[in-house]
Amino acid sequence: MKKFFSTALARGLFWQLIGTLVGAGLVTGIRVLMGLSATDKFFFTEPAWVLGGFFGVLFFLAGNGSVSDWFKWARGIETPEHHEEQYTGWEKYLNVSLDHKVIGIQYTVTALLLICVGGLFALIFRTELAQSQLQFLKVDMKLFGQNGPELYNTLMSLHGMIMIVSILLGVAGIMNYVVPLLLGARDMAFPRLNAFSYWIAVPAAVLLLMSLVLGGFGTGWTGYPPLSARAPVGVQMFFLGVFTAGWSSILGALNVIVTVVRMRSKGMTAMRMPIFVWASVATSIIAMTATQLIGLSFQLVMFQRLFGMGFFDPAKGGNPVLFQHLFWFYSHPAVYVFVLPGLGVISELLPVFARKPLFGYRWVAMSSMGIALVGFLVWAHHMFTSGMNEYLRLPFMYSTLLVAIPTGVKFFSWVATIWKGKLTYPAAMLFVLGGIISFLLGGLTGPPNATVSVDLHLHDTYFIVGHFHDTIFGGFVFPFFAALYYWFPKATGRRMNEFWGKVHFWLMTPSFFVLTLGMMRIGLLGMRRRIVDYDPALNFDSTHLVLTIAGYLIGLAVLIFIINFFYSISHGEKAEGNVWNSRSPEWQVPSPMPTHNYDQPFEVVGEPYDYGLAGSKYVEFAKPEKSKNK
Amino acid sequence: MIHTQDKSSALGQGVLIFVYLTILTALEFFIAITFKSVSILIVVAVIKAALVMYYYMHIYKLNENSDDDTHSYAYKTGTNRLGLWLFLLSDTFVFAGLMAARINLLGFTRPPLNQLLGLAVTAVLLLSSFFMNRGETSMAHGDTKGFLNNIVITFFLGLGFLIGVVAVEWRLAAAEGLVASFGNPANGPMGGVFYIMTGMHAFHVFTGLIFLFVVWNNARKNIYSAEQHWGVEAVAVYWHFVDLVWIFFYPALYLIGKLIV
Repeated sequence: MKKFFSTALARGLFWQLIGTLVGAGLVTGIRVLMGLSATDKFFFTEPAWVLGGFFGVLFFLAGNGSVSDWFKWARGIETPEHHEEQYTGWEKYLNVSLDHKVIGIQYTVTALLLICVGGLFALIFRTELAQSQLQFLKVDMKLFGQNGPELYNTLMSLHGMIMIVSILLGVAGIMNYVVPLLLGARDMAFPRLNAFSYWIAVPAAVLLLMSLVLGGFGTGWTGYPPLSARAPVGVQMFFLGVFTAGWSSILGALNVIVTVVRMRSKGMTAMRMPIFVWASVATSIIAMTATQLIGLSFQLVMFQRLFGMGFFDPAKGGNPVLFQHLFWFYSHPAVYVFVLPGLGVISELLPVFARKPLFGYRWVAMSSMGIALVGFLVWAHHMFTSGMNEYLRLPFMYSTLLVAIPTGVKFFSWVATIWKGKLTYPAAMLFVLGGIISFLLGGLTGPPNATVSVDLHLHDTYFIVGHFHDTIFGGFVFPFFAALYYWFPKATGRRMNEFWGKVHFWLMTPSFFVLTLGMMRIGLLGMRRRIVDYDPALNFDSTHLVLTIAGYLIGLAVLIFIINFFYSISHGEKAEGNVWNSRSPEWQVPSPMPTHNYDQPFEVVGEPYDYGLAGSKYVEFAKPEKSKNK
Repeated sequence: MIHTQDKSSALGQGVLIFVYLTILTALEFFIAITFKSVSILIVVAVIKAALVMYYYMHIYKLNENSDDDTHSYAYKTGTNRLGLWLFLLSDTFVFAGLMAARINLLGFTRPPLNQLLGLAVTAVLLLSSFFMNRGETSMAHGDTKGFLNNIVITFFLGLGFLIGVVAVEWRLAAAEGLVASFGNPANGPMGGVFYIMTGMHAFHVFTGLIFLFVVWNNARKNIYSAEQHWGVEAVAVYWHFVDLVWIFFYPALYLIGKLIV
């Protein structure tokens, strides 16, 4: 216990508390001097909470030591490029480390933790939805200053944003762990920035959870004004949390791009990079640039609330639709941030388990970039019913339909890769296939939403909810699990339990399809999203009950996974060799990966996915005693 | 570090570019008060931006990656340079978003601001960029003393800009009825847009001043040399970027559109 309190995590959280109190106290003091009210419903006033939340983040980072090297540099003191690892075992993961593998695992475990929190919120409101009328989130209850329906709204909104942050961290986790290994780099290009990107996400998650207890907010994760301009103070913590998490995403993405451009091993030309690297670059381009716009849009609402600058207040000449444009300029491309790495994982793993070359490597590589590019041009398809200028609908409809082309390229490549392959079905492969099917369902339900005439009816129904859960599960959750099963031996030297992995898959997948298809069914019949109750006369009760049961089964499956994951770290079957018989460089060396990655640099001498071609080779390690030409 | 120019010609180039930028800024002002053509103003701003990016920020250095040894200072500087430029690209999206908000909310109108004061602060920032360039050139040729002198001038010009905007301009604007909370209904959304645009830019100037202080302080300890001065280069590029943003914000706030009061 004493050890825990001296970790960077515990110190950071302690300093975040201090920072929050300092910031809030500062504003309160100034308010008292100015003769304004010092306290409010949630003890501090809103400006005090905002500065407190902001100071909390700064204090966290200064207090846990993730910025200390930069302060030394600013004072002209040099530091070694890499610090020797001071800790072993679990302590390594709760302290500031510059090793990309440690940071990757920190990201991944944090993402799993947040998935559990977000999933728990979903189960709470799913339980309420199992029957029409209000069962336990009643109007007369009061929790955190919210009555039942208000609490429902908060949980529903937080489910959205916590899952999004969790996905961003999960994506960053896999990219952090895998990309330098695939490139043959010793670390990311900027190890300190990498650690900073991770650690800034921790106070961000705390801020998001703080919004729950500070009155919550009923706006949905989109935070549209004017509703968000009137919500309780919790919405400010939500904005601040997203803003902070956004910096994690921006800086992490920047690091990935620079790493890929500058740190590839010898012979790895652009067209010999693994597909996952291509996908990481594509996703990072979006995350690095567009994320600024969600930060800006939320910041403008924060200022509107704090200083009365009515950017989005029509009574003051502002324009609420402007917020939606700024917001969706990030938040649509954001879904490609979520899915592109996952689709990259599918393309990466499929050839390994099909023992066949990836079909159409160049096209798949370019399709990731194509999706990223087109993704910047489609944002207003979320706004067909918003009252924006009508002439904008048509171009955005067509640009959205255009996304189907590069995505289709990926599907054809996968099908052609599976075709006549010698498939094996470990848990990782099952999740790859589950991801393909789920993403297909999500993909096919997309174009109807993109078509203006249909979208006007489907907008804000459960059809949309079913659609995006299919895309996000297919594009992120299934491939994320696949990646964890696949790269787990690389990180730990042990395998996750295959049997429980298969139970996880066969429990989660059917339940998930029941969930999303059921959502689409009642959505088509007129079930509105984001509401706590529905009319019993609609006859949705039985479907909602099935959806709730399916939701619980998914929760159970994820629980099985979590137990399997943590149990296997210390008790899993030993797997130190090339367990998947992969051609990828990281599997050519023993697991777990040593601290400084490869002892010998490797050279890329062939194509990455030529499985089954006799005598073909992807990488060749430099052997000091042997000559390089084989 | 490969010197393509000797010191005096590099400094001479800086002067020449400064003269061009001054002429273009004067031209901008002249166009704005005479025939008010927005498209010409955009063209002039783009030319100014291109001059700053090429001659002051040395964007072409992104291509200079001849060094094969990945552990050398030169190679690491190349990596850092790419990282910095990507960060600036990311930052550009914030300013582009603010510009989009300005166009959406204000259209072809502009806030009631003193155009001469705008010209004055713009000139101060431009001049600070000129001295920043002189400072960086000095350091690239190993002249720490010249660097220190120029960086002090840059710092105080930057401080002058910050005071000019935040202490003088904001006060005058508030006196004109341009208040953040849109207390004057005749101004519409102008107050908020004006304060958030200048405020976000001023925040970047402020951080730039901190960075200037940091490199000035380190240069006094003689830790930079002609070969190894990435810190100086980074601050110079960042400082010119702040100038670059103002090249677009200045006409957007002071020059284009009709004045409605």
